Amino acid sequence: MKYFKLPDLGEGLSEAEIVEWHVKEGEHVEEDQLLVSVETAKAIVDLPSPVSGKVVACFGEFGDVLHIGDPLVEYDSPSEDTGTVVGEIPESTPASPPTDKKSSKRKKQASEDSSKTSSAGTNDQFIIGSAHASSRSNSMGQSKATPSVRALARRLNVDIDSVRGSGPEGRVLAQDVESSARVDQERGQGEQLRGVRRTMAKTMTASHQQVVPVTIFDVADVHKWEEGEDTTIRLAKAIAKACKKEPALNVWFDGEHMTRRLCSQVDLAIAVDTEQGLFVPVLRDINNRSLKDLRKGLDRLRQDVKSRTIPPSEMLGATITLSNFGTMAGRFATPVVVPPTVAIVGAGKMHEDVVVHKGSAEIRRVMPISLTFDHRAVTGGEAARFLEIILESLSKRQVK
Amino acid sequence: MTDQVSNEITTHEINSHEITSHEITMVEAVTLALAHEMRRDPDVVILGEDVGPNGGVFRATQGLYEEFGFKRVMDTPLAETLISGMTIGMAGYGLRPVAEIQFMGFIYACMEHLVSHASRLRNRTRGRISCPLVIRAPFGGGIHAPEHHSESTEALFAHVPGLRVVIPSSPQRAYGLLLAAIRNDDPVLFLEPKRVYRIERQTVVDNGQALPLDTCFTLRQGSDMTLVSWGASIRETLIAAELLSEQGVECEVLDLASIKPFDFKTILKSVKHTGRCCIVHEACRSFGVGAEIAAGLAEHALLDLKAPVKRVTGFDTVMPYFKNEHYYLPSEQDIVTECLSLMKF
Repeated sequence: MKYFKLPDLGEGLSEAEIVEWHVKEGEHVEEDQLLVSVETAKAIVDLPSPVSGKVVACFGEFGDVLHIGDPLVEYDSPSEDTGTVVGEIPESTPASPPTDKKSSKRKKQASEDSSKTSSAGTNDQFIIGSAHASSRSNSMGQSKATPSVRALARRLNVDIDSVRGSGPEGRVLAQDVESSARVDQERGQGEQLRGVRRTMAKTMTASHQQVVPVTIFDVADVHKWEEGEDTTIRLAKAIAKACKKEPALNVWFDGEHMTRRLCSQVDLAIAVDTEQGLFVPVLRDINNRSLKDLRKGLDRLRQDVKSRTIPPSEMLGATITLSNFGTMAGRFATPVVVPPTVAIVGAGKMHEDVVVHKGSAEIRRVMPISLTFDHRAVTGGEAARFLEIILESLSKRQVK
Repeated sequence: MTDQVSNEITTHEINSHEITSHEITMVEAVTLALAHEMRRDPDVVILGEDVGPNGGVFRATQGLYEEFGFKRVMDTPLAETLISGMTIGMAGYGLRPVAEIQFMGFIYACMEHLVSHASRLRNRTRGRISCPLVIRAPFGGGIHAPEHHSESTEALFAHVPGLRVVIPSSPQRAYGLLLAAIRNDDPVLFLEPKRVYRIERQTVVDNGQALPLDTCFTLRQGSDMTLVSWGASIRETLIAAELLSEQGVECEVLDLASIKPFDFKTILKSVKHTGRCCIVHEACRSFGVGAEIAAGLAEHALLDLKAPVKRVTGFDTVMPYFKNEHYYLPSEQDIVTECLSLMKF
């Protein structure tokens, strides 16, 4: 408090006359200590000091008449002198958000923390200039387009990220959006690939980018086969036998790190064509299973694929692949090797053909076989020997 | 966030000068900067109404008359044209005057001098004469004052080529920016947001270190929204940023500080990062400084913007009286509401 002013003495009185001063200028006073006695029309009133402090000035002398609000005593409190002839400058309220449960908890925390440091001052944290090192935009990977072009794309129901931009630096222009919309209209909107079709597109792309494929074509003599022989089982058994003799085609190859992993077990991926697309379930450990067991396994796989109950784990981890496309049509093919495996056997349509057998022309049942191998990991010799074993196994009447 | 300002709470001797550290308010930081520069440079003089023995109506020049005498701390008559005229003359002849215009509302009488002469002296004399003056003026509303005491017309002066406009928002930055303004050879209008003159105390080290002009200050980092503001509105902007953070929106808060020329590069970098911008100023909306920033962003950040650039401002009227002030002044809730709508754009 800077000034103690003559307070309202009540009873409708507005003036008082100074009768006696009890303190001097320069004197220190305590709260409630008697400062001055004043006389009103009704009585003599003693005025105590409302605060403790040093008296700097006393206003008025014996006999002076003062009105309510006139200063009587000035205290020495320099921090109170904030100046301004007009207006009220708000003081020292800390900037804090309105109280709710969360922030009151935080404030409590803050007040506990601040008790360790000076409560009067805070340190202002700021960065001179920008907090970002580069001026690069944050919208990397998204199409660049002005807001009006984006709005146009929304109106025409075009996915702007799938439109190729012909503007500067690949920016998508209105005409790009419009021609995309026109294509959609004329030829139907592009169907987003999902599920097995999507997987197939991705797998084939990856294969094309990594594998160095070479295909060897030959024909197996299956004339001795009995009626109703299961082609897939025969092929599986043939592949198993070949893998045993030529393990180089039953490996996992990592082209980036240049590693080759010889797989002890033969897990055969079998390409199955369905309405939804290409499924490639895996028949596990074909080397060590009996014919009956393999049959059961294969039937179960076929059933699961048909009823679409095949779990994704059943389609992982193959070491070599079989594509029996010949059930429909086609003889020779260049089937695609699926990394990290290095070989795929393609069996064409079994048919009767005129072949040379023991010196003379005969009509015999044959099956065309195409073997594609990844020449990064497999040599021509290994592949040829592998194929030889397959042909030899297929030519038998029966296998165990 | 990197703390670029040293803040040791110790005193130590360098040459014969003690470097002291103070817990002070913004207006006290102004006094500290003035005292420091007057000690360092004998050409720095102060003039204005009531700045001498009275120490200024806001006590911004308190103690300076006692330390530097009547020749360097001059009480002028109640005549703003006299103040600006004398200041320009002093500056042209080699002094570094720091004039005080008691309230920004009284500065319009000086406009002829500032616009036609101070800002053009160098151009007119083909570089022979500069005008290294500083005109300090408390500005802005929110202190329950009568008319002419609550102006925020920084845009008028920002529009004048050759004039600098600087607005601090904290005690530390007031100290550093005022030093920079005095040392700068251009005429500087240093507007002090009086609503926050005493609202907080900060540690300010009296080391004479100026902050750079033409630079924004990043007060808070975030990746969802760029908030640009200056002066007293920084307070509400920072509070709004905290409120938005509770709702999952992280704001980057930039203190423009140098209004003219302003650091557009920092704003652009920030908007490229966040994709959204909201400008907050107490001054009235139309033709304000916010419009200039928005135009710049439309020109240079069009492809990076996820939403239009919005401004949260005062209304296109004079500051209303007393209790209606809080309707006029942009509040933290106004800022939060606008930002949330930008997030949903």
